Amino acid sequence: MDNIATWAKDLFLLILSITFIEILLPESNMAKYLKFIFSVIILAGILNIFK
Amino acid sequence: MNYVEIIRKQRKNYLDTEDTDALSDYAGKLTDGLSDSFTLDKILSATLKGESIFDDGQLIEDLKTLFLYEIRSAMVIGAEIITVCIIIGLIKNLSSSFGKSAVNQIAGLICAMVIVGLAMTNFYDIYNLTISSVKTITYTMEVLLPVLIALIIAMGRVASGTIMSPLLLAAITAFQSVIKNIILPLVFVSTVLTMVNCLTEKDYVNQLSKFLRRAALFACGLIITLMTGIITVQGIIVKSTDSLLMDTARYSLDNFIPIVGGFASDTIDLFLKCMGSIKNVVGVFGIITIVLLMLSPIIKIVAVALVYKIIGLLTEAVAPPKLSSGISDIGSSLITMGAVLFFSSLLFIIFITCIINLGGG
Repeated sequence: MDNIATWAKDLFLLILSITFIEILLPESNMAKYLKFIFSVIILAGILNIFK
Repeated sequence: MNYVEIIRKQRKNYLDTEDTDALSDYAGKLTDGLSDSFTLDKILSATLKGESIFDDGQLIEDLKTLFLYEIRSAMVIGAEIITVCIIIGLIKNLSSSFGKSAVNQIAGLICAMVIVGLAMTNFYDIYNLTISSVKTITYTMEVLLPVLIALIIAMGRVASGTIMSPLLLAAITAFQSVIKNIILPLVFVSTVLTMVNCLTEKDYVNQLSKFLRRAALFACGLIITLMTGIITVQGIIVKSTDSLLMDTARYSLDNFIPIVGGFASDTIDLFLKCMGSIKNVVGVFGIITIVLLMLSPIIKIVAVALVYKIIGLLTEAVAPPKLSSGISDIGSSLITMGAVLFFSSLLFIIFITCIINLGGG
């Protein structure tokens, strides 16, 4: 169960920091690519439970 | 010798009153005196006189007071959350005249984080309360089980006592550890994900949190069905073995001992019936204690869940829609937690009913 608790905590922090970074992102052409990369990172974070 | 005397005497002989009295005191402390009108002595004397055990309306009055008290104390956090939501709405509307700046988005995010922090603290308290009340109910069962099993063996149901006792004990311990270590943490994780989901613009973990919550409820239902099935089937089998044993003993006493055999078997019958009635009283005492122990946390959980649902519908006007739906999802999580608690006490009540049924009488 400790595993799942750590996973939830990590996911919480990951999503929170990514939300902050997304807001602070400058308006540019690269922004939408970066957003896609962020969602892939969150996907990796969710899948992290199976490690 | 009439049966009232026999019952009183047998109760003193066979029942370890220290255990049950300690249990009554413990339950009285936890339920703020709610269970004081249901001690073993009161139920026994009411049974002997043929009176109803729920004769006062005091209980309903107490429950109403408790519910209103819980609503009032949950309203404090509700007011805090609504205030922060109004501030969010203010920030959104004021800063829109300055254009879409990162600063006002961050201000909104921080306000949402304040709400999440408030809700999280409250939810964590209730989570701990639920775990401790599951522990309390398990403790109640662990105290009651030896008493009931001893009474069943005293009734001559030896096979039932010896087979059911370890089975029930194992089932109770396993169930408690599954609830405490798997199901309630799953609900907790699901709530954490719900909260982080209402901070972000896009849905990242919405489906995941819903899945975890449903999985917890499903696992709980599955375990309860399984355990009830095992205990009931085992109970039916040992019941028939025992009644065969008892009938053979009574028949041989009746027929093989001349003249006094008939009287002796009748007297033994009376004694066994009296033991049965004591066992039923202890069983009823156990059921009422478990229900009362479950009632006060469930009332608290329902009150807080209701307040969260009301905040959710009130803040829909001012706050961003994701936040308000997140708050009402926290209410759903709380209701799930209450359901888990309710199911676990239901399982224990089924166990006690099974034990009562075992002895017949």
